[in-house]
Amino acid sequence: MAQLLRPVARTLPWWTLAAGGGLGLLLAAAPRLTGDGASGGSVPTALRAAALAFALGAAFWLDDPARHTTAAVPARRALRHGLRLALLAPVAALWWTAALLLVPQPVRPPVAGITVEAATALALALTGAACAVHRGDGTRPGPAVAGFLLVTAVLSPLLCPEDWALFVAPGDERWPAAHDRWAVLLGVVLVAGAACLTEPLRRHRLRRLRSPSGT
Amino acid sequence: MTATTTGVPSPAVTTTAPRPSWTAVFALAAFEGRRLLLRVPVLVAFAVYLAWTVWRAHRVGDGHPALQDVDRATQGAPVLVGLAVLLSVHQAVLRSRRYDTERHLSVLVVPPWRRTVAHLLSVVPVTLLVAVCVGVQFTWQALKPTAVGHGSPAELLVGPLSVLLFGAFGVLLGRLLPVPAAGPLLIVFLFLFSVFATAPTSTGWSRWLVPSVGENSSATLPSDLIGRPAAWHALYLAGLALSVALAALLLSGGARLWSVRAGAAAAVALTLAGAWGQSRGVPEETAEARVRATVAPEKTQRCVARDATTYCAFPEWGPRTGDWAEVVDDVRSLAGGDAHERPLTVRQRIEARYGLDGDAALAASPHPGEVTVGTSWGGNRTPEFAVAVAVVLVTGREEASGAVCDGRIVPVMWTALAGRPDPVADLRRVRLDDSVTGGAIVLSQTETLQMTAAHTEVLRALLDLPRDEAAARVKANWAELTAPKVTTQRVAQVLGLDAPEGEDACQ
Repeated sequence: MAQLLRPVARTLPWWTLAAGGGLGLLLAAAPRLTGDGASGGSVPTALRAAALAFALGAAFWLDDPARHTTAAVPARRALRHGLRLALLAPVAALWWTAALLLVPQPVRPPVAGITVEAATALALALTGAACAVHRGDGTRPGPAVAGFLLVTAVLSPLLCPEDWALFVAPGDERWPAAHDRWAVLLGVVLVAGAACLTEPLRRHRLRRLRSPSGT
Repeated sequence: MTATTTGVPSPAVTTTAPRPSWTAVFALAAFEGRRLLLRVPVLVAFAVYLAWTVWRAHRVGDGHPALQDVDRATQGAPVLVGLAVLLSVHQAVLRSRRYDTERHLSVLVVPPWRRTVAHLLSVVPVTLLVAVCVGVQFTWQALKPTAVGHGSPAELLVGPLSVLLFGAFGVLLGRLLPVPAAGPLLIVFLFLFSVFATAPTSTGWSRWLVPSVGENSSATLPSDLIGRPAAWHALYLAGLALSVALAALLLSGGARLWSVRAGAAAAVALTLAGAWGQSRGVPEETAEARVRATVAPEKTQRCVARDATTYCAFPEWGPRTGDWAEVVDDVRSLAGGDAHERPLTVRQRIEARYGLDGDAALAASPHPGEVTVGTSWGGNRTPEFAVAVAVVLVTGREEASGAVCDGRIVPVMWTALAGRPDPVADLRRVRLDDSVTGGAIVLSQTETLQMTAAHTEVLRALLDLPRDEAAARVKANWAELTAPKVTTQRVAQVLGLDAPEGEDACQ
């Protein structure tokens, strides 16, 4: 386990995550920078956009150019992915705390609710990546997953039905109900993600002839 | 294997460089353009764009569109396609890196900057497709017989130009930051920029930096009073798209060519000219025309007399006179006394002094016998206008309607609604809380009316009677029904209806 830690940590796409996280912090600080900190009308949107930016960076987290060569190592895929996620978790927690602290205290939305939203975005990114690895054959599912996440993020506020509102303002009376829905979504996404962590016993489609290095 | 390779004669050594071929660039552009149209994000964006546009098309202006609003309504949705194009073009530019074919391409006759040109050209088919969609959307509304006003070509160009701009951004980003994560993150960054630029605290000039600029007000103004720098904004967008495209060329080795450098300089100049033009605010003469149209609309209006009614409308709304006349004739035919031949003026009035910055309420007309009509029609506006006509027929002045709180409300509402196809549905439409029982506020273009529970009860009973019988009863007792201070009890008694039990006091 300890032997695995260093090589895994070295191969992780830290720069991509840093880019996403940096942009996210900039977004979270936007209300303060624009002087909109007093009214706080744009705070939930800024925090949601920040969480999306970080999730987009994290969508590349399971990219591994050497996946085909590591398929045969004794450590299972669940363990290898688990290790990657374990390395991400403290970074994500620290980053989200920093993002929340960038929002002025009086206009900060309820922390638990907005955190569930951010966690769902991150879980969706990682689950997408895990499923792409599980179902597909590629070594770098990142761009496709990021595209999927972005399309979802753009379309869901547009297409979300009125009686199943998800993107509500903090003062709204639908806030608790909406966050019950967010929690349900988070649970579903996490279960799906857990199911995708394993290495499939057999491929779902006919494999073309490939060498172990994937060329 | 060895035998065959040695059998091939080695290529003749050429001393002159191969002639650069634009055919290869166009072939590559056609291939990339076709591929771009079939990318999943672009297909999804187009599906949502088309579904949204078709769904909205049935609801524009309640079936009575004003073309100066329709042109602006085409701008928002193409941004969605633009974002998908940005994402897909960026991935297409990076494809040769992703599959490590950069080395193979670098031995070809097409140098990198020409491949960039091909990627830029590949955005053109999507742009044209969006332009066709925008054109169809506008033409569909413009061909409706109920459409009024004039569209602006510059406003219609914004949708396609923003797709072009986003596509050029995708290519530039592919040359500037050749990592896959850059595309999605740029989109989030653009979102941040648009939030900054359109924040309520931002000044006028920064509002116009984003592709699609919305307005705070949904009011419809005559097209010459809108005062949006649409042509300058289209110039700014075209210049910006060109600048971004040429910057991508400069970055990929086109900097050696003086034509590219000169083009880039010209494109930046074009952008700056557009940005300067669009930031100058509302021209002086438009501001004056707005004040004139608000304070003294009769100076610019044309009037048409039909029977006893004169219809005065801004020139663009001339064709709508017939719709107004239909409602006025319906209301007059149900009223009694001298209401058939009393002269009325239906005057179109607007509050244009604040442009499209905010919605302002119109004050009721102080002139006797003058009814106000707004710039929108259909939906709730039609029964609201009928109520306004009935108020003026009963009380003589629109200004008086706010103070009316007696039994006259019953004949007013009945003459307004009984001629409508579904009176109870229209009653629900004109009442603020959408109720058909109890007391409520009745909306109109200017002053509101108050209906008490008792008024509603008597009105509903009157509407339940057969229309001819109710009309006979109302006309026979018109003078008593429309006398000031008549009580609701008395109105019910005169009409031969049960006395109302509900409360009969205005708040």
